[in-house]
Amino acid sequence: MSSCFLDEETFCQCCQLLLQHSHSLCDGWSWEQVKGSEEGYLRKTALGTGRTRCNLDQQGNSSDQHQERTFSLSFHNDDEDDDGAVCCIQEESSSSSVVQYEYHILYSCSYQTPVLYFRASTLEGRSLCLEEVWDSVHPNYRQRLQHRPWDTITQQEHPLLGQSFFVLHPCRTEEFMMPVLKAALDEHRQVNYIVTWLSVVGPVVGLDVPLSYCTQVPEPPHTPSSSPQPPSSSPQPPSSSPQPPSSSPQPPSSSPQPPALGTKPG
Amino acid sequence: MADDKDVLRDVWFGRIPTCFTLYQDEITEREAEPFYLLLPRMSYLTLVTDKVKKHFLKVMKAEDIEEMWFDFEGTSLKWHYPIGLLFDLHASNTALPWSITVHFKNFPKCDLLHCPSNSVIEAHFMSSIKEADALKHKSQVINDMQKKDHKQLWMGLQNDKFDQFWAMNRKLMEYPTEEGGFRYIPFRIYLTMSDRPFIQKLFRPISPDGHTHTLGDLLKEVYPVAIPNDDESKRYQVVIHGIEPLLETPLQWLSEHLSHPDNFLHISVIPAPSD
Repeated sequence: MSSCFLDEETFCQCCQLLLQHSHSLCDGWSWEQVKGSEEGYLRKTALGTGRTRCNLDQQGNSSDQHQERTFSLSFHNDDEDDDGAVCCIQEESSSSSVVQYEYHILYSCSYQTPVLYFRASTLEGRSLCLEEVWDSVHPNYRQRLQHRPWDTITQQEHPLLGQSFFVLHPCRTEEFMMPVLKAALDEHRQVNYIVTWLSVVGPVVGLDVPLSYCTQVPEPPHTPSSSPQPPSSSPQPPSSSPQPPSSSPQPPSSSPQPPALGTKPG
Repeated sequence: MADDKDVLRDVWFGRIPTCFTLYQDEITEREAEPFYLLLPRMSYLTLVTDKVKKHFLKVMKAEDIEEMWFDFEGTSLKWHYPIGLLFDLHASNTALPWSITVHFKNFPKCDLLHCPSNSVIEAHFMSSIKEADALKHKSQVINDMQKKDHKQLWMGLQNDKFDQFWAMNRKLMEYPTEEGGFRYIPFRIYLTMSDRPFIQKLFRPISPDGHTHTLGDLLKEVYPVAIPNDDESKRYQVVIHGIEPLLETPLQWLSEHLSHPDNFLHISVIPAPSD
């Protein structure tokens, strides 16, 4: 279904519109451009809370001599009598503490969706390990992560920087984006893909999206594509003050209006 | 003329003779001898080095052992890259055996992913296969497979079972005849002279007007620096599985025959050796 996918150009446009609103709120999003290319990503650092283990040293190793730092990340599956171990997080002395988060929003051309990468460290500069990150996920979301491997948080290499980050796996994005996009279409509402997507995945990893994003950030103007498009609402001029919500309704159309699927020539 | 199937076997059974030496600052109870091993090009470091760990454990105390990691000439080796790719990228034009240094302390956590168990390797491997199929078939083939089929792909890799692996993998290599090829080709071009680890873009094997794209076409589009101009000498080598395929090779053929088990074409662009 093309309507829940995002081409790279639309991704960039959605990000720029999000950025404008972010500047007006001074809430810290920036656009990082990759040297020598048109690619880039959104970046933000924020302080949040997380659960960290107090008995780890700077290297993230346990200072307890007899502590076995083995844990199994075998994901328990609903429809299988597997080796049943849901991710074994050791119940050690963990406590709530202030955590420094760094969030990156990148575009995945393989899945044609945005992907959320993040890093987390204590205020002393020690990076959190995967178990601590899992521990820090809000209890409301934890069950979902444990039982569906493809929704999970894993460590991955950042495709543009080459460093290790945590990632929320993107391959189920269309499942939650599709109903939202369809509803918006039916109700003639503007939807900024990135804002909508972020408001779903962000809170899982401690990133809150203020409500004003959903009302104030418009969707990018539609580019002409091969499929018939109804005329779009006028593009918003760049400004530093918050935009009033768009009052002109989208004209009803008989066919869904997918964002143009960006295919490279050739 | 070699059968195309022979290429699949040659790729699968490629090996790199390697010498593992313990890092000199590691604390040992007695001198550690180097350990020699033939590494499978298509596997992953952490999957095939249990013997290496056991060997060095014999001369070390348990409390001096943390997560094992490897470096080559100061560059930490990413276990989540296939072994053959690591060699082509970092050690192509050096003498064999490949000399790798083994560490048990000071894990470089900014650069390397942790690998606490084989489940992590399996998850990473399956994630790559899934991504490759998203590009080739909009995930239809991989999603139609059952859990046990996914397991078969992983077990084939883990246990070095060519037939078991390909019995399943051949489904991921099919495409509707009228299409002429996959939707997009799963590839990554790795560069040594850049901060960026790799280039990955959408690229079709057949152009809209039916023209078959070649390796040269791909490079021209996404990394033209790699292709020499007519009048200048070659500055870079374009290496897949230790060989330099002709730039005229059809990309679809390369994808079907020279992909790694994760279904990606991992292409290294390295400086050509100066004579």
